[in-house]
Amino acid sequence: MARVYNWQIGRSMDYWYSENRPKRQFGAVFDINKCIECQTCTLACKTTWTSGRGQEYMLWNNVETKPYGSYPLAWDMQILNRLGPQTWDGARYAGRTVFESVPKGLRVLNTPRQDIDYAYPNVGEDEILGEVERGGALSLPQQMWMFYLARICNHCTYPACLASCPRSSIYKRPEDGIVVLDQSRCRGYQECVKACPYGKVYFNPATGTSEKCIACYPKIEQGIQPQCFVNCIGKIRLQGWINPPEKAREDNPVDYLVHVRKIALPLYPQFGLEPNVYYVPPIHVPESFTHQMFGPGVPAAVAAYRNAKNDKTLAGLFALFGSTERTIPYFKIVGDYAVALDETKKEIMRVPIYEPVFVRPEHDRLYQVMRSNTT
Amino acid sequence: MDIVKAEDWMRSSQVKTRFLCTAIALVWIASCSRQPAHDAEQIVAPRMAGSLPTEDPTSGLWKQAPEYSATLLKQDVTEPMLTEAGVDRVKVRALHNGEWVVFRLEWNDPTQDLIPRPGHSSDAAAIQFPFQPGDQLPDHAMGEKGKGVRIWYWKAVWQDDTARAQAKGGDRIASLYPNAAIDHYPFQANESARAEMEKRYAPARAAENPITVVPGSGPVQVLVAEGFGNTRVAPAQTGRGKGQWENGKWMTTIARPLAGGAELGDLVAGKRSYLALAIWDGAKSDAGSRKMRSTWVPLVLRTQ
Repeated sequence: MARVYNWQIGRSMDYWYSENRPKRQFGAVFDINKCIECQTCTLACKTTWTSGRGQEYMLWNNVETKPYGSYPLAWDMQILNRLGPQTWDGARYAGRTVFESVPKGLRVLNTPRQDIDYAYPNVGEDEILGEVERGGALSLPQQMWMFYLARICNHCTYPACLASCPRSSIYKRPEDGIVVLDQSRCRGYQECVKACPYGKVYFNPATGTSEKCIACYPKIEQGIQPQCFVNCIGKIRLQGWINPPEKAREDNPVDYLVHVRKIALPLYPQFGLEPNVYYVPPIHVPESFTHQMFGPGVPAAVAAYRNAKNDKTLAGLFALFGSTERTIPYFKIVGDYAVALDETKKEIMRVPIYEPVFVRPEHDRLYQVMRSNTT
Repeated sequence: MDIVKAEDWMRSSQVKTRFLCTAIALVWIASCSRQPAHDAEQIVAPRMAGSLPTEDPTSGLWKQAPEYSATLLKQDVTEPMLTEAGVDRVKVRALHNGEWVVFRLEWNDPTQDLIPRPGHSSDAAAIQFPFQPGDQLPDHAMGEKGKGVRIWYWKAVWQDDTARAQAKGGDRIASLYPNAAIDHYPFQANESARAEMEKRYAPARAAENPITVVPGSGPVQVLVAEGFGNTRVAPAQTGRGKGQWENGKWMTTIARPLAGGAELGDLVAGKRSYLALAIWDGAKSDAGSRKMRSTWVPLVLRTQ
């Protein structure tokens, strides 16, 4: 094991290979508060990549309902349970990562998986935490909660799948940090299927190999965001590039949200993989739950998000989510507009930070009808 | 101890020794007269004329070959290791005809595991030979850099693929999940482009991964390795064999030509060579380095 630095847990940790960051790293921000679980992302991915024989229950992208939903079954409960106490000392993780609690004979603390684990992709869908008491549904804030968690491969800086493969069939592309599984080299040992604590590598019985999300790299190479991003109805996703904190740039949208404003947080940073999909945590969910899921940065992120509407840069940046098919490496705020810029800082797209609000009288005098606000 | 008792003891001891010698002699004579003999030291392959039971693990010809019982150990040299012991013994018999040698491996396995799926792998067995002849053996664990090994690897799912194709029994998914109802696959939409589309949605097949064996090409693949993690398919594929599972037991034949040439190395009758064995239990999701394996076992191909 080598020693590597993981900024998400604020310390060095053990990893199978030495630290070797790519030239640039695929990064993404998902705003959980906007997701309506329409599964358009799931379908966009499925029809593009996994419609074949043996891929029936393979969902590189899935959206599950928290707290009860999970796909594969109980992926989070299983690894949280195995990992043991996960305490934070401020921004420094004091527990053990999956690379630091490895049983003898393995490379990574893993989770055994069975085919039945993939048979219920919609388990717990739309279920709230508990029963709403009489009249409780009418009171604010809502007593009960749930939220939707959209998940793809995190294209981790320290992938557990990559560390676990005894054949080195999984590699991280140096040009963009996308983690890919070599389909010509894999021999179907399923080490990676068990090793990914997020359950994001799948076994294909028809071919006998394992498969995973490729971040639509043929699109990324052309400067276009992946299928699950551009097809998102709720415009909850933004794809770009993430730098380590010491190299963070204010004009890089992902850096700005993750490092500068610290409003987007990694999923289960305590696993130790340095995942590169960042989530704006749900603001209505008790902190005890979101703290376990997104780490100690939750209260500050929620406060910043609640105030985002009064913050021109943040509001503008969120307005750029889903505004263009193109990857947005840079952005700027010009007057009342947020502007997406390409690699050469040329303008790609311009959106108003605040949509104009029109108030119309209830009675339409021209047509002599009453208006309703049904959309 | 007094003198009388000592004499008694000596007398009884002499009787015991005489009895033991007679017993050993009788066993030896019995072993000479009965075929096959059990050989605890090495695998001995008698030479026979004509065709070998290459794909017949239950052939009567196997009675001509002495049985060797190999001890298997957990692979605990490199991660990922096998943490719980599995099949700890495999019985081996071998026959050759001057051109090919065929081995029959016999081991206990309460379940027949054919098609791999999450949490399960395919039952499998392998015989490994050092590439270079002589007694300077490479590491028995997959060889080592510059001192490679050649492996004849039998996998139950490959055999099952062929059997299903011949019986028109559907593909792996239909066999694993007979009640699964599928609405539609995109590759079914356009009949003229179907084969191409189907391949495109099977990435490992499209990438020509050698483990996606075409049904009919046989269940034994020849592999090359120089240590862990670099196994690749040998350029020359000369493996044959067949497994048969019945009553909690696999009997599997694996055959190779004696002359493997520059790529696979040769076996020479009359000269001592070596092999090592490995067994994977699919029910325990054994795969890759998670296996039961032996150390080097001497092999002698009789000249007659």
